[in-house]
Amino acid sequence: MAPNHRMMLKADINRFYDDEYYSEQKIKQEKFFVRPSRQRKMKKTKIFSIGMGIDLPFCVIILILLTIGTIMMFSASYAFSYYTQGDSYYFLTRQLIFIAIGLFAMCIMSFFNYNKLHRIAPIVLAISYLTLLVVLFLPSDSGVKRWIPLFGGFNIQPSEIAKFAMILFFAHWASKYYNKMQFARYSVLPGAVVFGTTAMLLFLEPHYSGIVIIAILTVLMLYIGGMKTKYLFIGFALMVVLVLILAVTGGLSYAMSRMDGWGQALIYTDEKMWQTTWQTRNSLYAIGSGGLWGLGLGQSRQKYLYLPEPQNDFIFAIVVEELGFIGATIILLIFALLVWRGITLSLRAKDKFGKLLGIGLTSQIGIQVVLNILVITDWLPNTGISLPFFSYGGSSLIMLLAQMGIVLSISRTANIERQ
Amino acid sequence: MENNGKIHKNSKKAAKGPNQRLRQRTAVLIIMILVVGFGAAIARLGFLTIVDGSTLQEAAVAQQLKDTTIPAKRGTIYDSNGKVLAESASVWQVVLSPIYFENDEQREAAAKGLSEILELDYDNVYEKTTQESYYVVVKRKIEAEARDKVLELIDELSDEYDCGSVVQLLDDYKRYYPQNDLASCVIGFTGSEEQGLEGVEYQYDDYLSGTPGRIITAKNAQGTDMPFKYEQSVEAEDGNNIYLTIDETVQSICEKYMKQGIADNNVLNRGVCIAMDVNTGAIISMVTVGGYDLNDPFTLPEETKKEIKKLPEDEQLQAENEALAAMWRNKAITDTYMPGSVFKICTASMALEEGKISDNTSFNCTGSMTVSDKTIHCHELGGHGSQNFVQAICNSCNPAFIQIGQLVGMNKFNQYYQGFGFSQKTGIDLPGEAEDTFWADGEMTEVDLAVASFGQNFAITPIQMVTAVSAVANGGYVLEPYVVSKITDSQGNVIKNVEKTVKRQVISKSTSDKMNEILGYNTATAGATAGYVAGYKIAGKTGTSEKIGSKVISHFSEDYIASFCGYAPADDPQIAMLVFFDTPSGDAYYGSQVASPVFINIMSEVLPYLDIKTEYTESELEYVDVSAGDYTGISVSEAEAAAKADGFTTTVKGDGEKVIAQIPSVSSKVPTGGNIVLYTDDSSRNETVMVPNLVGYSPSEVNNVASAYGLNVSFSGASDTGVVSTSQDIASGTTVSPGTVITVSFSSSATFND
Repeated sequence: MAPNHRMMLKADINRFYDDEYYSEQKIKQEKFFVRPSRQRKMKKTKIFSIGMGIDLPFCVIILILLTIGTIMMFSASYAFSYYTQGDSYYFLTRQLIFIAIGLFAMCIMSFFNYNKLHRIAPIVLAISYLTLLVVLFLPSDSGVKRWIPLFGGFNIQPSEIAKFAMILFFAHWASKYYNKMQFARYSVLPGAVVFGTTAMLLFLEPHYSGIVIIAILTVLMLYIGGMKTKYLFIGFALMVVLVLILAVTGGLSYAMSRMDGWGQALIYTDEKMWQTTWQTRNSLYAIGSGGLWGLGLGQSRQKYLYLPEPQNDFIFAIVVEELGFIGATIILLIFALLVWRGITLSLRAKDKFGKLLGIGLTSQIGIQVVLNILVITDWLPNTGISLPFFSYGGSSLIMLLAQMGIVLSISRTANIERQ
Repeated sequence: MENNGKIHKNSKKAAKGPNQRLRQRTAVLIIMILVVGFGAAIARLGFLTIVDGSTLQEAAVAQQLKDTTIPAKRGTIYDSNGKVLAESASVWQVVLSPIYFENDEQREAAAKGLSEILELDYDNVYEKTTQESYYVVVKRKIEAEARDKVLELIDELSDEYDCGSVVQLLDDYKRYYPQNDLASCVIGFTGSEEQGLEGVEYQYDDYLSGTPGRIITAKNAQGTDMPFKYEQSVEAEDGNNIYLTIDETVQSICEKYMKQGIADNNVLNRGVCIAMDVNTGAIISMVTVGGYDLNDPFTLPEETKKEIKKLPEDEQLQAENEALAAMWRNKAITDTYMPGSVFKICTASMALEEGKISDNTSFNCTGSMTVSDKTIHCHELGGHGSQNFVQAICNSCNPAFIQIGQLVGMNKFNQYYQGFGFSQKTGIDLPGEAEDTFWADGEMTEVDLAVASFGQNFAITPIQMVTAVSAVANGGYVLEPYVVSKITDSQGNVIKNVEKTVKRQVISKSTSDKMNEILGYNTATAGATAGYVAGYKIAGKTGTSEKIGSKVISHFSEDYIASFCGYAPADDPQIAMLVFFDTPSGDAYYGSQVASPVFINIMSEVLPYLDIKTEYTESELEYVDVSAGDYTGISVSEAEAAAKADGFTTTVKGDGEKVIAQIPSVSSKVPTGGNIVLYTDDSSRNETVMVPNLVGYSPSEVNNVASAYGLNVSFSGASDTGVVSTSQDIASGTTVSPGTVITVSFSSSATFND
């Protein structure tokens, strides 16, 4: 125990919240996550460390995904951008600006002591509520209120903030009351209250896919936070009941309209349905056209206005069309590597908060990737779940990279232990 | 706080510690996300790309690629001398890409404009504008005039409605038949899609049609081409050219006289004329009279239309279709008929070949003959008496041929029937060939054999008859008739050359020679009634068959088919020809009266055209026409001397010193010893004479009358045997210049043989 204490910087706050610290034996147990050679390299490489290294593999994976994602976003948006904006580089230029801002944010966050977030978690949640409320009172053309416009045509999406706020809050809560989490009033009750209120606000937007992700994240955070498994099942049952009630009262009409034609994209029933399923159908056409090896980078045909907004949620369909099943699988494996690395490095964090926060933030990426693929392949209704690092969009990308910065920050403190 | 030490010591067994619990739950989480979640995603992608890949890709390609068809130019059809009979010329087609229409206003404007210019139904065109398609053909084969109007419409549409690119003009081809109705039943015609529907156009459609090309352009969802060129074009491959064996000149000669024959004899059910090269089987001409304009094959003759209009309305459409089918029907190969006495050529050949008879075998005819209790009459009711084989043919005596048939016997008769090719289709390369109607094995009775011997009670096609007669003429070889001699590709390289196909030899060369001799003798002795053409040795046989079993429509007690089949020259046969009139309803119905004169007229033009050597007998020379020389521009005495040297007499009109004009004109046909009128001044040229009646006289009488009037006579069908003039080409009472040549046709005054 003692060496750990000596090596720590500004980490006394953890002692205050956390129930335990790693023992030396514990660190030995975790050796299989860190290769000895890596450790030596870390000591020499000072670019990302000020005496303490961030997890370089995790950082490299992020940069790889970001590079591939940007290239593919450019390829996918090229034609759409040309036809709608008159400039093939419109989306690329903006995305590159977002990436610059996002990388800056990631850098900042990686130096930022994530433990400070512990205290401000309730404040972040409050901000999240505020933005979710504000967005409801902003004018909207389509009747769907998801965006808060900022300067220069940039928008922020309150649901992106909400996702982060949920993970942060539950990490904060579960680490604070880790030993009491088996009691329903410390786990189920706050979970129900926070999720319920957030979900209600999202429901009013409406943003059902946001609710789905937040529900999954809530359950995930409470589960790893130590909630009894039986509540998990009870929670599932309750959610089913809730959905049924909404269905009966007609509140699900919008979601149902989005689900219209779910799994029916290739079957012609009537003209209206054919138009409704246009995007999903063309996504399937794109994926099918890709075959095993793809048509080649930049060779997608479906991006020529067949697949609406190919730079957004359906970008991966174009990726499959151009790079084929092999290319898509490689990209998914890189994502899996990111998730694996993120979760395992988070486990090495010396405090419960760091572990839970890191796992939550990394899992969110994995969950979004899986949901996105299932949507574009018509296994889930077309609900609008973006693909991290690939989909075009300022607020989500910046949020994403900032969150990755937090994970890197966690890795930084985790590495301190080893040094 | 849990006991740390316990966990450290039994880390694998202790599951309750908070860290251990987090680890376990994280492991579950990783499994859920990475194994279940990513696994499902990859599996789903694998299914879609690999299992469903090809179907999805096909659907994607279908919506991404704009496929435009480039029509291929259909091959040209030539006659045997390279004269164009059918040709495709460049025209245009109007196509729509209705998917580009943005609103109904545009659709209505386009539909209205197009329906007016192209004379189409508005609703029909409007329906096409509502289709979700990139390529809808509005009208094909529009000509330059309509094209210009469409171009104007396109300008108007793009100016006023901003939808000019919706209407497009693409290349197209239209079939033209420069000879209109010539050889219509052989050439056939094409439908709206340039597909062959009848005749050679149908039979050789695969060769003629070529391969249409395509332009495949990738397009975006709005239907415009993508900014990056993706274009694949497959050139249209033009169709092959076809050379027919049909000679346009011979064909038009045949058609001319066949039409005349139909008119002269009020033939009710069309006529057929087939001319075949006896040595190769090539069809030189094939006429079904009552042809149709190939440029307008769907229009019936006015009379037929009127008759159809008389019918109740609900029957009109069917009647019209039936009338069209009847009009297109190639009677020469699609209809069967009873050959009648023409078939005696075959009966005689088989008897000779089998050695059952010789020239001197004698037959007795009492005017009728009884076979199995059934009495069969001869056309000569009084009987021909005792006659030898050659006389029996010349008399066309039925009882004699019944006896010949009996000598041959039923088995041999059947064998030869098959041998001559009557039991099979000839295999001519034209669509719709019919099969014969004959007694099935074992069903033939003695009576059947008796009537079959002179060509009654079984039916064959005209093409089978002419093929069999060719075999008799050419040394016994049954050939496969054909109308296409050569196929070349669009560059002129020969793809296919058709040679003669010999099916079998049915009779020996000696029998063939014998038949040529006998039939030549028949024609020479019977004269005009049996196809006599001055200067040529013709072999032939007339035929008059009764049409049994159908409603009588002529004014005779029965309907007849009058036919003549012959070939020339008899000593070295080159061309065989069948002339055939179905149901004459004029003055006569005998083959010798109806078909033979037409045969003579055709042959007298065709044989010189084919450069077949003439051999005149002395008496014939008297009537042979020669060409008048040029006697103008020289002095009167010189002209008279020149004309005399050419074998003409002269009459000088006027007081001038030089000949300024002559009648008959230079190179025109003038009978040997004819009179040339030489004009020396203009005033004398106004002199005219009235044409006298020249019908009903013998050749010498005609000559005398004509000379008295200062006119020349060209003798048609005249021979030294008893003939009388039956017609003159310039009617009596017409005013003509002296010296004008009047063609007078002669016919035998003797009794008409069957």
